[in-house]
Amino acid sequence: MIGGRRPLQGRKLGDRRVRVERPHSAYFRYTGRNQLVAKAAASVPATPAGRLVARIKAVALGRPLHSDEEAGERLSKKKALAIFSSDAISSSAYATEEIVLAFILVGAGGLAIGLALPVAIAIAVLLGVVAFSYRQVCIAYPTGGGSYSVSKENFGRLASLVAASALLIDYNLTAAVSTSSAVEQIASAFPALSDARVWIGVAALGLITLANLRGVREAGNIFAVPTYLFLFSALAMIAIGAYRILVLGEGNQPPPPEVVEATRVTAENVGIFILLRAFASGAVALTGTEAIATGVPAFQPPEPRNASRTLMTMAGILAVLFIGITYLATNFAIYPIEEPKQTVIAQVARTVYGDNVAFYAFQGFTALLLFLAANTSFAAFPRLAAVLAEDGFFPRQFSFRGDRLAFSMGIILLGIVAASLVVAAGGKTHALIPLYAVGVFIDFTISQAGMIRHWLRTREPGWRYRLAVNAVGCVATGVVAVVVTTVKFADGAWLVVVLIPILVALMLFVRREYDAQAAELHVRDDLVIAGPQRDERVIVPVNGINRAVIQAVIFGRSVADDVRAVFVTTDREEGDALRERWERQIPSVPLVIVESPYRALVGPVLAYLDVLDQAWPPDRPAPVTIVVLPEYVARHWWDRLLYNQTARRLKAALLGREHTVVADVPYRRTS
Amino acid sequence: MPEQHRPTFTRALLALNGGSSDAAVVRLVGELARPTRAALIGVHVVEIDWTLPLDSDVAGASEDAQRILDVAEGVAEESKQSLETVLLQARDVGAAIVDEAIERGVDLVVVGLPYRKRFGGDFAIGRTIPYVLKNAPCAVWVVRDPMPEEAS
Repeated sequence: MIGGRRPLQGRKLGDRRVRVERPHSAYFRYTGRNQLVAKAAASVPATPAGRLVARIKAVALGRPLHSDEEAGERLSKKKALAIFSSDAISSSAYATEEIVLAFILVGAGGLAIGLALPVAIAIAVLLGVVAFSYRQVCIAYPTGGGSYSVSKENFGRLASLVAASALLIDYNLTAAVSTSSAVEQIASAFPALSDARVWIGVAALGLITLANLRGVREAGNIFAVPTYLFLFSALAMIAIGAYRILVLGEGNQPPPPEVVEATRVTAENVGIFILLRAFASGAVALTGTEAIATGVPAFQPPEPRNASRTLMTMAGILAVLFIGITYLATNFAIYPIEEPKQTVIAQVARTVYGDNVAFYAFQGFTALLLFLAANTSFAAFPRLAAVLAEDGFFPRQFSFRGDRLAFSMGIILLGIVAASLVVAAGGKTHALIPLYAVGVFIDFTISQAGMIRHWLRTREPGWRYRLAVNAVGCVATGVVAVVVTTVKFADGAWLVVVLIPILVALMLFVRREYDAQAAELHVRDDLVIAGPQRDERVIVPVNGINRAVIQAVIFGRSVADDVRAVFVTTDREEGDALRERWERQIPSVPLVIVESPYRALVGPVLAYLDVLDQAWPPDRPAPVTIVVLPEYVARHWWDRLLYNQTARRLKAALLGREHTVVADVPYRRTS
Repeated sequence: MPEQHRPTFTRALLALNGGSSDAAVVRLVGELARPTRAALIGVHVVEIDWTLPLDSDVAGASEDAQRILDVAEGVAEESKQSLETVLLQARDVGAAIVDEAIERGVDLVVVGLPYRKRFGGDFAIGRTIPYVLKNAPCAVWVVRDPMPEEAS
C-alpha cells in the first residue's frame, strides 16, 4: 500500500483498480466543502481511564444520543391533559390537608369541619379565574407562553427576571413538595416507613435525576397512565364517599360540645386571620396551572384551541377533586396525623375503600402521580435555565445538552437543591408549603400583567374583553400573592421574598460579565484582519540539556528568530558547566543563566521577562513573548506527581500576563 | 410488498455515482435488506484518465468523492442500516464495479442511472451499465431517475 492506496488486479489483465483508504470515515463525515460532522467514535476518550469513565457513564446513563434523535412528538388532548396536568392535579393530594392544618395550628381544628369546604370552594373559584386568564395566554402565545417569555416581551428585563426567579424557585419546590408528599402517601399506607421518609425522598429524587439524565421523555405513554389511574380512582372515591354521606347518612358526626365551644372562642379571637391563613395554605392547589400555557407548541394543531380546552378541562377536574376530597374529609371529620404519618387523603381513601387492596392501590397511584409531578420540574427547570443561559443570564454550560440530549447541568442542580429541601424540611410537605405558594402567585401576577400590556399593545379583535379577563386574573392573583406572603411570612415565605432579588441580582451580574466579555472580544464587521503586527520572541526555561529541552528549543526556533533559553540555578558551578555544554551543543540559541541565591525558581523567570519588556524600545509595540515549556509526559496518572511541577507553577504564574503566550511542548516516552 | 414477493439477498453492492439516484438506491436497498439483515457495500469509482498514473492521489484528496460515500452512509443510517463504503480509482468504472463485486462475493449489484439524452435525442445509457449487466455474475438492478418534465 502506498499512501493509503492499495492496487488490486481485476479478472482481466488490463482491469486494475486502486482501493483508496478513507482514514477520516471512522471519525467524520463530509457533508459539504470543508464541512465535517463528527461521528460517535470522534467523541470516544483517547486514554484508558477516560474510556473507563465513558463506559461507566454509558451503563448508568445510556449510550450518547445523536442530536437528530430528539423526540418531537405532538400530543393529543387526552395525552396532553395527563402529561401537563400531573403537577396541578397532584396538588389535590395535599391541598385539603394544608387547609385543615392551618386551622389546627392556631388551635381551631374544630373550625376545619365547617370552614374547610367554603375555603376550598373559594380557592376553586380563584382557580377558575386563573385558568380563564391563562386561556388567553394559550391564544396569544401559540409558541408557548411561560411567564418569563410573556413578561420579557411586555415588560423587559427586570420583570422577566423576577418571573424567572419565581419560576426557578417554584420548580425546585414542586420537585421537593411532590416528592415529600409522595413519600408521605407511601408512609400512610405502610407506617413502618414513616421514620425513613427523608431518605426515601432523597433516593426517589436521585432516581428521578438519573432517569432525566438518561433523557427520559415526558411525552411517553408511561407518564399518562399514572395521571388517569389516580384520576379515576379519586373520582370513584369521591362518588362512593358522597353516596355514603348523602344517601346512607354516614359521617356528619357533630363535634363534642367542648370542641365547639373552644373553636368558637378561638374563632372570635383570631377571626379573619384563620380564614386567610387557610386560604393561603390551600392555594397551593393552583400550582402547575400554568404548565399548559407554557407547553402550547406540544399540542396537535390547532394548538391554541386544543391547549385552551385542555386547560379548562384540567381546571374543572382539579376543582372537582379538590372540593370533593375536602367535602369527604370534613364530613368524615378527618384530621392529619403526624406520628405515624397519616395524610388526609390517605385517611379519606381508607375510610371510603376500607383497609384493602383498593386503598393500597389508590395510595400507590397517588404516590406515582406525585413522583410524576416532581418529574415535570425536571423537564421544566433545566429548559428554563437553558433559555436563561442562552439569554446570557445563567452560566453558558446550562444551555449545553449532555450525551443523552438532556440539559444535564440544570437536572443535576435541581436534583441537589430539591434533595436539600427535602432534608431541611425533614421530609414533611407541610414545612415546605409556606415557601411554595408565594413564588407561584408572584408568577401568575406578572404573567397576567404582561397579558394586559400585550392586549393594550396589539389591540387584536376582541382585545377589550380579553384585557378585562386578564385584568381580573391579575388583580385576583396579585391580592392572593400579597395575602400569601403576609400570612406565611413568618413561616418561611420571607425566604422566597429575600431569594428572588438575590437571584435577579445574580442573573444581572452574570449578564453584565458576559456583555463585558462580548464587548471586549467584539470584532468590527468591516475589519479585514492583516498579518501579525507585533514582533515575537521565544523564551525557553530549561533545566539542563535533555531531549525534552532540545525539542522545545527546536519548536521555539520554528516560531521566532529571537529565541533564548533561561536557566535558573542556585549553584554557580552548575550554571557554568551547563553554559560550556550549551555553547558547544546548541550554539545558535543564547543561554541566559539566572542565579537565584534565594532559591526561588518561578519568580526570577517572571522578573527576567519583566526586564526584557522594559528594555524593549518604547517606540515599537510590545512584542509577543512566547514562553515554551518543555514538558515530560507521564505514562501513568501517578507519574504526574513526579514531573512538571515547576512548569505547572510557572504556567499558573504566567496566566493573564500581558502579551504572553505559554506553549507546552510535550516529550513522550517511547519505552 | 408482500413477504413472499420480497427479493432476498445477503450482500449487495451499491454503485454510487454522486447523482440524485444515490439516495433512492440506498433507501430502496436498505429497506429490502432490513428483514434479512443483508450487508450493504457502497462503492464509488473515480475514473482516472490515461494522463495520470492509476495510483496517483486523486480520490483520496477529493472531498467530492469522499462526500458521495459519506452522504450515502448518512442516508443508510437514517434508515437504521449500516453501509460499508469503498472508494476506488480505475480506468474503467464498470470493470472496477464488477471486480469489486466478485472479490466481495455479493449476490446483488445495484446501479443508479440518471435520465440523460444524447445529442440528437436518443436515451443515453452510457458504458458502465451495459458492462455491468453483461459481466456481473450476480443479479443486477438498475434504478433509473424519473424522466425530467421537459423530456416527458
